[in-house]
Amino acid sequence: MNLSIWRYSHLTLAISSFLFLILATITGIILAFEPVVEKSKRPNLESLDQISLAQSLPIWKKKYPSISEIEIDNFKTLIAKSSDFPKEIPSAYIHPKTGEFLGESQVQNPFFEWMTALHRSLFLHELGRFFVGITAFLLWLITISGTLLLIQRQSGIRNFFKKIPKENFAQYYHVVLSRWMLIPIFIIALTGSYLSLVRFEIFASPKVNLEVDLDKINASPQIAFHDFKVFQSITLDEVKSIEFPFSEDPEDYFTLKLSDRELAVNQITGEILSEQKYPFSQIMTTLSLELHTGRTNLLWALILAIASINILFFIYSGFVITYKRVSKKTKNKFKAIESQYIILVGSENGGTWDFANGFHQQLLKQGKKSFIDSLNQYQNYPEAEHLIVFSSTYGIGEAPSNANNFKKLLKEHPQNQHINISVIGFGSHSYPDFCKYAFELHDWLSNESWAKPLLDIHTVNDKSIEEYSRWTEAWSAQSGIAISGKTQISQPSKFQKILVISNTSGHHNDTFLIRFQAKKWVSIKSGDLLAIYPANDHRERLYSIGMVGKNNLQLSVRLHPQGLGSSYLHELKTGENIKVRIINNSHFHFPKKAKEVVMICNGTGIGPFLGMISQCSKNVKCHLYAGFRDANSMMLYKPQLDDFSKQNKLTSSTFAFSREIEKQYVGNLVEKDASKFANILKNGGVIMLCGSLAMQRDVMEVLKAICENELRQPLSHYQAHAQILSDCY
Amino acid sequence: MLKLTKSLILIILVLVGFSKTLQAQNTGTTKYKCMIQMTNYMGEGAYIVVSLVDAKGGYNKTLYVLGSDKKWYADLKEWHKAFSKKPSNISAITGASVTGGDRSVVVLEIENAKINSNYKIRFESAVEDKPYNVKDLEIPLTTESLSAKNEGTGYIRYVRFSPN
Repeated sequence: MNLSIWRYSHLTLAISSFLFLILATITGIILAFEPVVEKSKRPNLESLDQISLAQSLPIWKKKYPSISEIEIDNFKTLIAKSSDFPKEIPSAYIHPKTGEFLGESQVQNPFFEWMTALHRSLFLHELGRFFVGITAFLLWLITISGTLLLIQRQSGIRNFFKKIPKENFAQYYHVVLSRWMLIPIFIIALTGSYLSLVRFEIFASPKVNLEVDLDKINASPQIAFHDFKVFQSITLDEVKSIEFPFSEDPEDYFTLKLSDRELAVNQITGEILSEQKYPFSQIMTTLSLELHTGRTNLLWALILAIASINILFFIYSGFVITYKRVSKKTKNKFKAIESQYIILVGSENGGTWDFANGFHQQLLKQGKKSFIDSLNQYQNYPEAEHLIVFSSTYGIGEAPSNANNFKKLLKEHPQNQHINISVIGFGSHSYPDFCKYAFELHDWLSNESWAKPLLDIHTVNDKSIEEYSRWTEAWSAQSGIAISGKTQISQPSKFQKILVISNTSGHHNDTFLIRFQAKKWVSIKSGDLLAIYPANDHRERLYSIGMVGKNNLQLSVRLHPQGLGSSYLHELKTGENIKVRIINNSHFHFPKKAKEVVMICNGTGIGPFLGMISQCSKNVKCHLYAGFRDANSMMLYKPQLDDFSKQNKLTSSTFAFSREIEKQYVGNLVEKDASKFANILKNGGVIMLCGSLAMQRDVMEVLKAICENELRQPLSHYQAHAQILSDCY
Repeated sequence: MLKLTKSLILIILVLVGFSKTLQAQNTGTTKYKCMIQMTNYMGEGAYIVVSLVDAKGGYNKTLYVLGSDKKWYADLKEWHKAFSKKPSNISAITGASVTGGDRSVVVLEIENAKINSNYKIRFESAVEDKPYNVKDLEIPLTTESLSAKNEGTGYIRYVRFSPN
């Protein structure tokens, strides 16, 4: 609840200020380099804290009798104004000790001057200053809301610097970088806001006014400048500027502006005529200016530049995160109970969502009250006229994970009015039981007394736009609402090329290992999925990756005679490049913290485990339970497995053969070692499953019994704690 | 006779020389140090232009411009009007703008012939988003005023001169 408030305000603030913020940031980045450029134009001189005014001022005065002012700028350079310089130069850099002429002083670079005006006021004078000030203030609020978000995200200040899970690029770096950039950005925003407030005189910053009583000025005794007590006590590092007396009249005096006060000094007697400390507000203004511009410290200027560049990155990544969140979570404008059109989706990987979403959006555009949800969220829809079900099928004709509860829910929530139903199934003919679950859905729905089938069930093979369009046409004809089938399907964008470096397919086996080399910068983990495009069209096939060695991907593949993907991979030769996409499958990565991991697989399911074992560190115990048809089909993996045992990477390995004399399945092996499994689960170990769904079902049954009998906990407890992970097909 | 001729030539030479010096004093220029002390007003740096103005109030010559960014010159309305009509090179007589409470010392080069002959020196001032002063300070260009302290009416507190 709280999280969403902070997130909401963080986002709202960002949206309301990002245009001005981008402008201010870009100009700010450029301006951060001004101190560097300015510094390079100035003579490089020794430090000023060793030179007293009594020591240096008489030398300047002697050398330049008409000197009217000395200014010491932010770079500790002395700028003198006098008409005694060569070629009538009005102001020049001079050496603090010798007064030597060091060249004409430079005015502010016109480019930076222009940039400063843009940064401060967008060339809009007062109005622009107002906007920039507001932007700075909003940035300050963004920093605060961001900090609170971060604290909540890390569940407490104490965990502030704890590791952050890498979900995706934008998210990860938005969070990681914000931890480091928080402080400089906070300072930029705060000082910027303060300076704006001062500019608008909300914080008055009154000027110091030295009151000198001219009647009380003494004209004697005359003392030489180097004997002035006050000059002896001041070193040049404190001095901002010195105004020399305009004439030799005793009524004209020295005005010294120091870092914390101003002084008027009698030019004949050296008496202090008036002295005033700067008010707090002026010191704050100077400090804010120095912090905001970085002009007194080049390192700080650099930090400011980096922080500003990060602001740009935060704007970009923040919007990427928002876009992803919004586009993933289909926003429902209308509530379920008020909508006439109910779209229910059953999908495992999200592909079907794209179609359903497109359909949903088109209804909304036409002003229809449409509502979209997962099949598992099925409820009563009192206003519904149409129920449209989009569903894929998972594995052997089973329900996708967001639909596995639907059958039960359907019975629990009978609708009270007649509703037109239409079901469309998504799948691929290359798998058995094409769209089986969609057919089942259609049957169940048709049996409900309230349901009136609007259309017969349609199916779509391999995301075929043509087949989908056929259904939308039929649906439009029946419902009277025009829906186009040419929905924009979000195409996977991040393709890359990988190189085949070996393929064992030549050995007349129907299972083979194929290895690829990926580009160096790609981060892939064992358990991620490799999507290939066998026909170079929209049809993709997924394989589980095992990482063996750096950037080397290994797939374990079984050749299906009619299999689109497997026969394509079977034909690949060493040296070929193929177009692929890597899909992050973080729920099936090797656990980071577990001390003991059991890997259970059958057939080619061993693939990702080969990668995981090869990269497993020595203080983690790895156990492998693998099922094969016969000893022969294990031969392919034997060399690698033997290596693992030799390197002590594999603590134990147990095999089951289903077609040998002693018929055994992996489930049997697990049953046999029940107490071992119970112990591992109890001590926080992790069990990973990869292989066929049949194997998964068997093993899960056994594990369920173990959990209930030996651990007195339901299986779901361990699943919820990510101690049982599975990736089966 | 020869003596007389010699002394005559000498007298003539001296006379010629003297009249030349006289001429030089009339056409020549003198530099004056001019200190402009600002009031403690709040806001941006003031742009000030110092001009020589004739008896009718027409701009005769720009003596100094305090403020280097041409973008703000239009704010000095009257001077800008005259200057746009008859532009001259002012790069040598341009300096930095002056902020409230500060002072600035500049050198003005004034033709001797203009002194005590009905000319005036005008200090015109403008500050971003604040009122503009055509005559922040206007003084007759006389030997007397060049040695006195002259109070301003806008952002300028006072102006003082001294021979350079």
